[in-house]
Amino acid sequence: MLQHWIDRFVQWCYYSKDYAFVRDTKYGVPILQSLHLTGITLLLGTVLILNLRLLNFGFRSVTLSELSGQLWKWTKVGLALTVIAGIMIFLPDPTRYAHSGPFRLKMILLCLTLTFQFTIFRRTVRSGGTGSRVRNIAIALTSLTLWFGVGWSARAIAFFQ
Amino acid sequence: MSPLPVLDWLQNTGWATSLKESTLVFPLVEGSHLLALSFSVGMVMVLDLRLLRLCLRNKPAAVVMRELMPWSLMGFAVMLGTGFALFAAQAVSAWSNPFFRVKMILLVLSGLNALYYQLRYYPRMAEWDRDGTPAGVRAIAVLSLIFWIGVIACGRTMAYEL
Repeated sequence: MLQHWIDRFVQWCYYSKDYAFVRDTKYGVPILQSLHLTGITLLLGTVLILNLRLLNFGFRSVTLSELSGQLWKWTKVGLALTVIAGIMIFLPDPTRYAHSGPFRLKMILLCLTLTFQFTIFRRTVRSGGTGSRVRNIAIALTSLTLWFGVGWSARAIAFFQ
Repeated sequence: MSPLPVLDWLQNTGWATSLKESTLVFPLVEGSHLLALSFSVGMVMVLDLRLLRLCLRNKPAAVVMRELMPWSLMGFAVMLGTGFALFAAQAVSAWSNPFFRVKMILLVLSGLNALYYQLRYYPRMAEWDRDGTPAGVRAIAVLSLIFWIGVIACGRTMAYEL
C-alpha cells in the first residue's frame, strides 16, 4: 500500500514538470547541495545554541526566552533554505531517493524532528525553560538526537542502499 | 618542487589506504566533517549576524563572541582532524581538484580576515560596540559569511569530482 503511494508520487514528480535541467547541468546538483548544506549549518548552529543553553553549558548571561526570540528568525531562514534546496535536489531524481532506505528513515526522522521542534521545544525555550532541570536536559537531548539523527541518515543515503 | 611524491606517499600509508577502503569508517569520518560544520561555521555565522546587528542586538558583541567561540573552536578542531584524514585518503586527486584549491585559498582568506579582526577590532570591542558597528567590522562580517559559504560550496562540490 505504502509502496503504491510512493510509486504514484515518483510518477507524479516525473510527469508534473520537467526538472531535468538540474540533472543535466553540470553544476546544478552541486550548487543545490551547497545551498542545502549552508542552510543546515545556519539551522543547526542556532538550534545548537538553544540546546547548549538548555543544558546550561553556556550563554547564561542571556535568558533562554530572549535567546530563542533572537535566533528563531535565523533558524527559519536556515530551515527554508535547506528545505527548498532539498526539494529541488529530490524532484529531478525521485527514484534515487524514494527507494532508498536511509532516505525514508531521514524523512520519518525529519517529520518527528520538526513536530518536536515546533511544539514541545519551541514552547519550552519561549517560556524560558522554567520547568525542572531534568525536563530541560531531556528536551535538549531529544532535540539533539533527532536533528543529528536526520543528519546521519542523510549521510547514509550516499553510502548505503 | 612537486608535492606529488609526498602526497603519493601519504595516501599509500597503511591508515590512509584502510580509511579509503573502509565502508564504515570513511562515511563516519566524512559525516563528522560535515556535521561539525554546525559547531564551527554555524557559530561563526551567528557571530557575523550579531556584528551586523541582525540578532542579539541588546547583548554586548564581546559577550556573544566569548560564548560562541569555544564551541566554534571545538568544531574547527574536529573539522581539521577529519578533514586531514579525508585529504590523506585521496591526497593526489584532491590536490589536483580545482575546488579543493579554491577551498584552501578561501580558508586562508578567512583566517586572515579573522586575524585582522582580532588585531584591529577585538581589543576595543566594548568601546565601539556601544555606538554602533564600524564600517570595517561590518565589512569583515560580510566577508566572513562569503568566505565560509564559499568554503562549504567548494568542499561539497569537490566530493563530486574525486
